[in-house]
Amino acid sequence: MTATRTEPRPGVTAASKPPVRRRSAGTPMRGLIPLALVLLLWQALGNSESPYFPPPSAWIRALKPSLDDGTLYAGLGWTTLTVVLSLVLATTLGAVLGALVGSSRRMDRAFGPSLEFLRVLPAAALVPLAALILGYTMQMKLAVVILPATWPVLLTCRSARRSMSSVLVDVTRTLGLSRRQRIRKVMVPALMPAVLLGLRVSAPLALIITLLVEIVTRINGLGALLGQAQANFRSAQVYGLLVIAGALGFAVNWLVTRAEGAVAARMSGGPTG
Amino acid sequence: MLETSVEPVGSGRASLECDDLRVTLAGAAGEVDILNGVRLSVASGDFVSILGVSGSGKTTLLRVLAGLQQASGGQVLCNGIPVDGPPQGVVTVFQDYAHSLLPWRSVRRNVALGIEDRLSKSECAQRVDEALEMVDLQRAADEYPWRLSGGMQQRVQIARAIAMRPSVLLMDEPFGALDAMTKASLQDQLQQVQALTNTTIIFVTHDVEEAVYLSDRVVVLQGRPAAVGLSLEVELERPRRQVATKELPEYLKLRHEVYAALGQASAQ
Amino acid sequence: MTAVLRRINVVGIAAMFSVLVLWELSVRTGLVTFEYIPPPTRVVAGLGEIISSGELTTNLVHTLTAAVVGWAIACVVGVLAGLALGLSRATWTYSMASVDALRALPIVAFVPVAVLLLGFTMEMEIVVAFYAALWPIVLNTVAGLRSVEVRLLEVGRVLRLGHRGVLWKLRLPAATPFIIVGMRLGLSVSLVLTLVSEMVGNPAGLGFALLQKAQSLQPEQMFAYIVVIGVAGIVLNAVLMALARLLFPGQMAASGESA
Repeated sequence: MTATRTEPRPGVTAASKPPVRRRSAGTPMRGLIPLALVLLLWQALGNSESPYFPPPSAWIRALKPSLDDGTLYAGLGWTTLTVVLSLVLATTLGAVLGALVGSSRRMDRAFGPSLEFLRVLPAAALVPLAALILGYTMQMKLAVVILPATWPVLLTCRSARRSMSSVLVDVTRTLGLSRRQRIRKVMVPALMPAVLLGLRVSAPLALIITLLVEIVTRINGLGALLGQAQANFRSAQVYGLLVIAGALGFAVNWLVTRAEGAVAARMSGGPTG
Repeated sequence: MLETSVEPVGSGRASLECDDLRVTLAGAAGEVDILNGVRLSVASGDFVSILGVSGSGKTTLLRVLAGLQQASGGQVLCNGIPVDGPPQGVVTVFQDYAHSLLPWRSVRRNVALGIEDRLSKSECAQRVDEALEMVDLQRAADEYPWRLSGGMQQRVQIARAIAMRPSVLLMDEPFGALDAMTKASLQDQLQQVQALTNTTIIFVTHDVEEAVYLSDRVVVLQGRPAAVGLSLEVELERPRRQVATKELPEYLKLRHEVYAALGQASAQ
Repeated sequence: MTAVLRRINVVGIAAMFSVLVLWELSVRTGLVTFEYIPPPTRVVAGLGEIISSGELTTNLVHTLTAAVVGWAIACVVGVLAGLALGLSRATWTYSMASVDALRALPIVAFVPVAVLLLGFTMEMEIVVAFYAALWPIVLNTVAGLRSVEVRLLEVGRVLRLGHRGVLWKLRLPAATPFIIVGMRLGLSVSLVLTLVSEMVGNPAGLGFALLQKAQSLQPEQMFAYIVVIGVAGIVLNAVLMALARLLFPGQMAASGESA
């Protein structure tokens, strides 16, 4: 899904710009009460034979067999592996390309429109194409996930590189730093917050697209299990897997936000950074 | 072109010199000549200020001397060697201190940036401490630069340059963005640093008082494209004092002359 | 005249075009021999075929209807929910965490649930599109309302605007650019999710057409559909932005979205 905007415009601050070390930024846990109430009511009033709305206890029961024979763990493992691998590749690719494109106005202008078109192309549309070319394989999964997951990192890196003060480059030259030292000591740390900002958008995106590919193609993973359960009308299992997918999504968000917070506090410096 | 340099070019005593320097830049309305035939020679240990109205090409001249920008014609020699990229022993201090310091590094590690890979750990630490002491920043060593005031940030940048032990220090309006009080105290600190290290300093500014107060020689850029219009020796006794020196009749006379040269520059 | 020319990114268009030419040449000369990658000219021919057979119009209308209807409902519900959460401290405290928890559910995983409950229908697609667009709109509305500068609220107090005045004259206008961003995000997410729901659920529209062309080995037509989907996304976004600029010129200009 190419939905996620990454330019540092005012509107995105909600999702992407780290509030400058606001400790009390967390939402109060009390807010979970309505959700808990709904689930409790569902459990109390739901009919465990219902083909559409089986209560939460039925979800757990429905997942038991796949827990026992290990298919659930395997699915979770495949999905996680796909997400992690594609994120590593997409982040590297996005950071390098973004830094390159952002380093010169000419490159930026030349590649801007092509990048823009590729960015808005919905990832879902690429699944049939990738399946046709690469077959129903892990490589195909990775290819479909990497492409959209690269953009957020690429775009944040590009704009960070573009807005990087030229004085900083002059400083490294006047201090006689070599090209390698310049990249290691100045470029990488200066672009790090942007990479993580992009990653924060990329990570949930990668998970969503991994699930999407798995649901559409039924290649092993959590999404494939979901798709199968739905095709066989095992509603309790579908709900159970949905919760597990949610937990995975939560874990991914949590990890990336923590990493970004830690780096932002150390790297980006003060209110101006 | 006016021929005003005091020493003959290529005499070997000069630590930084240029001859017939030309710079042409591509602007919105075609090519623009910025510098045309600038001739300058700065002896080792000298403090030379380059003055000019804004847009006169002072910063361009400094950047060419620093090897950060290519000249379109003419040559820059550093200790007799043609400059092509930032030469060894020449360090520039930029006006924009906020963007010159790495926000993710503490003051100490910012000062170490240029030397940490060339020296042993203990040597590096010693040089950093030395440099910080010279600008009176020991107490802020472990702070992050963005926690410091503008004046302190600029002192960090100066310390970083000193730590390189440069033979020539190029300064591009280093105090231009600071308030008057901070400016005065940094000027005096810079005097002390030069007295201690005997570094050659080329100092770009648009502040006449600052130029006369600090320099051994004031050079005024005139014309468009610019060339050296006036080169004035400043023989005021050192150390200079903010109040006493600026009340000397000699100082006032020099100041008057520079203002006159600048007035002529802006009239053109 | 030159100003207009300068605004058109000639280099960028040339770069795009040269990629297409390179692609065409490498397929024609056999540098890339992949039976499923047709050269751009064949894709154009494929586009002609699906246009003349009329299937493109049918599919496009189907998908866009589902996506836009779902999105429109999400705009209304999302902004209202966002207002409730952003304006009332109590509502926020006692339900924001639930919103966050539900948002963490990967929306794609919701598609099988929707198919299960609603079957292979247009309603299912609309519900999926609605659900997908809802979260970005809610979150951005909340963020917009909470982003209002304290100074601006003080201005409201100094000018004695009262609660209603502050809401209508300060908080809502200040939140508008955020809400628009949420709607833009929502629109593109709902388009994507509509496609997915067509791929795994309702056999109709652009999503199903893509699968069908892949299975019947008609890559030219499949590529043509991919291009159409990309362009449709760009056009929808452009229309939304034009509308926003028309309705809220001041706010959009202030947030740097006027150009």
